Amino acid sequence: MKRLIHIEQIKLLNYNPFRITLGIYVLAFALGLIIYPAIDKEIPVISLSDLFRFPDVWLFLTWVTEPYNILLALVVIMITTKEFNNHTFKTQLIFGLSRTELLLQKLLLVAVLAIFATLLLGLTSLALGLIYSYKLTFGIAMENTWILGRYLLSSFAYMSIGLLVALLIKNTALSLLTFLALRVFVDPVLFLILRKHEIKWYLPMRTTTRLTPLPDLIEIFSRKMNSEEPIDESALDIIPEGLPAWLNILLVLLYTSLAIFFSYRLMQRRRFT
Amino acid sequence: MSESNSFPSLPTEMNEILSIQGLSKSYKQVRAVLNLDLQILEGQAYGILGPNGSGKTTTLSVVTGIIRQDSGHFRWFGEEPQASQRRNIGSLIETPHFYPYLNLERNLRIICDIKGMPYGDIGRVLDTAQLTARKKSRYSTLSLGMKQRLGIAAALLGDPRVLVLDEPTNGLDPEGIAEVREIVMQQVQEGKTLILASHILSEVEKICSHVAILKKGELLANGPVKELLAEDEIIEISCNNNHALRKALEGSALVKEIETENGLLVLTLNEQVGPAEINTFAFANKLVVHHMLSRKRSLESQFLELVKEDQR
Repeated sequence: MKRLIHIEQIKLLNYNPFRITLGIYVLAFALGLIIYPAIDKEIPVISLSDLFRFPDVWLFLTWVTEPYNILLALVVIMITTKEFNNHTFKTQLIFGLSRTELLLQKLLLVAVLAIFATLLLGLTSLALGLIYSYKLTFGIAMENTWILGRYLLSSFAYMSIGLLVALLIKNTALSLLTFLALRVFVDPVLFLILRKHEIKWYLPMRTTTRLTPLPDLIEIFSRKMNSEEPIDESALDIIPEGLPAWLNILLVLLYTSLAIFFSYRLMQRRRFT
Repeated sequence: MSESNSFPSLPTEMNEILSIQGLSKSYKQVRAVLNLDLQILEGQAYGILGPNGSGKTTTLSVVTGIIRQDSGHFRWFGEEPQASQRRNIGSLIETPHFYPYLNLERNLRIICDIKGMPYGDIGRVLDTAQLTARKKSRYSTLSLGMKQRLGIAAALLGDPRVLVLDEPTNGLDPEGIAEVREIVMQQVQEGKTLILASHILSEVEKICSHVAILKKGELLANGPVKELLAEDEIIEISCNNNHALRKALEGSALVKEIETENGLLVLTLNEQVGPAEINTFAFANKLVVHHMLSRKRSLESQFLELVKEDQR
């Protein structure tokens, strides 16, 4: 394990496209800290800063930064297809890695990136929450942190699908394009076509995005305006429509396992010349 | 001799390094290797000789785990193939492939990590390959010859028992060829087992002790280089009284060696002696030759023809 991580470390930390993409990713988080408060001044009546208070900040920021996961999936695709282009999978096999270890190496990368992304989100949310919250109690601050677990899963799922696409297609540009098309075109179009059927909620990309859904903004703002009123329990349901949360999570776990299974099969059969 | 399981590291001559049985591999319509059998023992310098497209690279790619065979099997060190065995084998298959954006040292560190060994050996192999001055250069900045030498340096990392080299002098200038050959011969002299694929007859003759000749994926012949590619001319001969001819030849200065094979006499001729001299000698001894065939010539010319076909 340590050996595989160390090999990836040598490869990636000296690889400029990786450093740049990851830099952009971190910058995107940092900009969030600066830009959202700036937008806030231009919108009257409602204040965006309400969304940055504990415990809502966890849900809101998770939803906002979920699309950043695409960037991470692109990194995984770029790195995996590069191994094909440089024929370095072949070199690693010749010198004694097994085909399973080649896959494990990439899955470890996916796991490390997912943990990194979740930590970054956690720290950013914590920082914004500390800045904007009026009353700070540990209980309120930590409420809703469970969403980070879902973020971890969604980011792992995205990258696993990206890995499968890369192993299947091998070509960098085509793989990137295929993944983006799946995310921004195929999934929404299928969703529209299937809009009358319950099955629309079962699409892989859809289930993954719905792990971190848009929080109930109306509820958050109305809670602020009539803070004396008791909170309606049903309004707190963060998945107002679609599948129950547990089923959604189960489906993502299933899709992720399938992506890893097919990646494994591809790895075992590929000709690495 | 194949049962070296219990003593895999015993450095006797008879230890089996690689055995291949019934190996076949096709790429769609193209047959690359057909039913190949080979056995390579410890300490042998085994040449696999054949023109391009004869299945050399495919064979070596299968035994180094890059591609999967269609049928047949192979064993390393008398055991079923495993990735971990390859850490004791230094291989260079076709052109070397490294991370173009990493410097030579970092590329070799990756290989060390794969083999699970410390980085201490990197300096030695860079020295051997005369690349020490370039160790901080990116791999992509190397010339073709340097890349090839780095490939060999990587194969030498950790001082493996076995070297598998596929056309290590391909694409090099004469000076580069001489350098690479010297490195390889040094390794052979140190007692390493070498498996060398080449399409150059003279290269195999110079470096190898044994040779297998492939043609269109099939094994044409194999055995000690001395027998198959020696300068000595070997002829098979038969006459009305082989026994008498053998006795007469044994007393002459024409032949080095006489063996009997399937009722034929197999003669290893002395230098300056050709079939004509043998025939004259037999006639002078009142013996009538009714069969005479030059063996070595047939093999060599066959090989040269293969290569010629290929270059056309």
